[in-house]
Amino acid sequence: MKEHIEKTNRVSVSVILLTIILMIQVILVLYPLAFTVSASFSDSNSLASTSIVPFKHKFSVFQYQRLFTQTNYFHWYLNTLIIATSNMIITVFVCSLCGYIFSRFTFPFRKPIMASMIILQMFPSFIGMIATYVILWKLNALNTLWGLVLVYSAGSIPFNSWLMKGYFDTIPHDIAEAAYIDGATPLGAFLRVVVPAAKPQIIFLALTSFTGPWMDFIFPRLVLRTDSKKTLAVGLYEMINGRAADHFTMFAAGALLVAIPFTILFVLGQKSLLQSLATTGGKE
Amino acid sequence: MEIDSNLIKKTKIASCCFMGLGQVLYLKQYVRGILMMLFEIIMIFCCTPVFNSAIPTALYGVITLGSPKPEGTPIKMLDHSIFMLIEGLFTIIILGIFIILYISQVKTGMKDAERIIKRGRYPTAKEIRNHLATKSFPVLGITPSLLLLSIFTLIPLLFSMLIAFTNYSSPDHIPPKNLVDWVGLSNFTTMFSRNIGGNWPKAFARVAVWTLLWAVLSTFTCFFTGFLFAVILRDKRIQFPKFFRTVFILPYAIPQMLSLFVWANLLNGTFGPINRTLQYWHIIQQGIPWLSNPTVAKLTLVLVNIWIGFPYSMILTTSSMTAISQAQYEAAQIDGASRWQQFIHITLPLVMYQLKPALIMQFAGNINNFGAVFFLTGGGPNLMFGTNNLTISTQAGSTDLLISWIYKLTMNTPNQYQLASVLSILVFIVLVPFALYNFTHTKAFKDGEL
Repeated sequence: MKEHIEKTNRVSVSVILLTIILMIQVILVLYPLAFTVSASFSDSNSLASTSIVPFKHKFSVFQYQRLFTQTNYFHWYLNTLIIATSNMIITVFVCSLCGYIFSRFTFPFRKPIMASMIILQMFPSFIGMIATYVILWKLNALNTLWGLVLVYSAGSIPFNSWLMKGYFDTIPHDIAEAAYIDGATPLGAFLRVVVPAAKPQIIFLALTSFTGPWMDFIFPRLVLRTDSKKTLAVGLYEMINGRAADHFTMFAAGALLVAIPFTILFVLGQKSLLQSLATTGGKE
Repeated sequence: MEIDSNLIKKTKIASCCFMGLGQVLYLKQYVRGILMMLFEIIMIFCCTPVFNSAIPTALYGVITLGSPKPEGTPIKMLDHSIFMLIEGLFTIIILGIFIILYISQVKTGMKDAERIIKRGRYPTAKEIRNHLATKSFPVLGITPSLLLLSIFTLIPLLFSMLIAFTNYSSPDHIPPKNLVDWVGLSNFTTMFSRNIGGNWPKAFARVAVWTLLWAVLSTFTCFFTGFLFAVILRDKRIQFPKFFRTVFILPYAIPQMLSLFVWANLLNGTFGPINRTLQYWHIIQQGIPWLSNPTVAKLTLVLVNIWIGFPYSMILTTSSMTAISQAQYEAAQIDGASRWQQFIHITLPLVMYQLKPALIMQFAGNINNFGAVFFLTGGGPNLMFGTNNLTISTQAGSTDLLISWIYKLTMNTPNQYQLASVLSILVFIVLVPFALYNFTHTKAFKDGEL
């Protein structure tokens, strides 16, 4: 009997200890978020004047007003949306097509092309940024959104084509062949039969290629010049860089308006996202 | 219709003489043959004054990178070395495609001729249409992607490699005002040789060591923190595991750049709320120099990186642990193994084995983790070598990784494009083993498809 009590005591001690560790981690995770939310609703402009205890000050939407009246925030948001959406459309179309062709067709130099794509995806594309800049200059694409979209979609081809190829490999071959017998062209069969069968993976591709450009900083900084052409990443960076103390609360408001839709998107797409992560990360 | 028994030989000779000729003369592949002949005609014209001798000019331009013009020539008329280099690269790639196409059309022409002889007839219109549909679809489908890739990925990568062998840098070698010249390996000696390079080799050694240390530390701290919480949350005695899991995933959902900015402000030495809170509670007298002391800044980077990166590892380890069969644990319990022993002998080795590829790729990713460094510390504080401030002469800060140093050398004045390129080549070389590992571990490679 005594032994039994000792055991339950020990068990509860370790449970309490673990729960304390978990609670500390919860505080560590939530503290920066709470502070940011609280700062965005403050009426003072600087970091120095924020209260060290979140939500202790007067509630105010002044920072949000400043954001939309004193900066080009709305334009930045719109530009980022345009870039992300165009990148998503191009990437989904181009990379699913490439992945499908990799998976089903033979073509000249198939092996060297596919092998070099695996190698290419390893290298961060901004290593070549000087040349990218000059090429965009020659194409008259500096300070344009479409130039940026071209850079993003080109850069994502190697990785995403392989991703899609892997998925198409698992789809039975006969569904497209049935369409051929009905007289469909390869492209028609691909669009009408194969794409619907690959819907989950295509949604995943759309999601990642939509979220990808949001926080890229290097290329927009290189390519976009005028303030109204900027993306959120550059706009927010310049708002806070150097004079952090002056604009932190306005930055917090701007950051929150990005982070909230992202978190919602993440929660909605969580299941497919986590599944994909688990399979690509763990079991290759 | 009689089939010429010398068809293969004739096609070979004709196609060798002129691209597409065999196809038109002997194989009745008129459209394909004429298109190829057109390609060769255009290429030939590009070598003659008809098209401004485009190809020889471009090739000559790559070799010389432009020649000086007399004083007073308007800027527009001066040779622009960088344009010349890129145009030259472009021409070389087109020439490469031309040569490959030339060889392959001879081969496919011979193969087609062989098939015609074997069958004793030319293919019917229907056969041609079917063949076109299956053969041309992949080629047409993949060509736009390859074009985009070569313009926006391949040429830039080659270009940035080549720049390492030139003197492209400000203030003296910036086109269009000045020319850029090939300088051989002198940039490499500047960067790596102690006798010649002055401050550069010193800065390089510091940055390279920190890059490696950072990659090891950041990968393992993130992984084991994530692993720890995955294990704790699997304990059935813990209440509300779902709540904890949802909270812990938040840093993964929020864009990394925003979290880094917020942390940079929280940790601000004088105004940051963390220092102010600690001072308010009288835990510290003076603010902790989170981002302004070289050693503390490095530690801060690793800690903030855990905050950002542990959820991902938690997700990976959780899913990998669910794959371990319960039977193993039951067997271990019967043998009297404690929880800790079960963890050390069953969970840990299995999870590590499963996640080894993921860990290796994370390590490679961390070598190039531009964001963490650039947005949190901006590479700062200054890199001191005794009393010698290396940041002034080389732009390298004490928390800079190779990749953020490359960025600074490229974007900040005075631009040192040539030295940035030397470092890019180094990053390339460092990444090769990872690329090969990645390559040999793809399913396609294992299946013998590549």
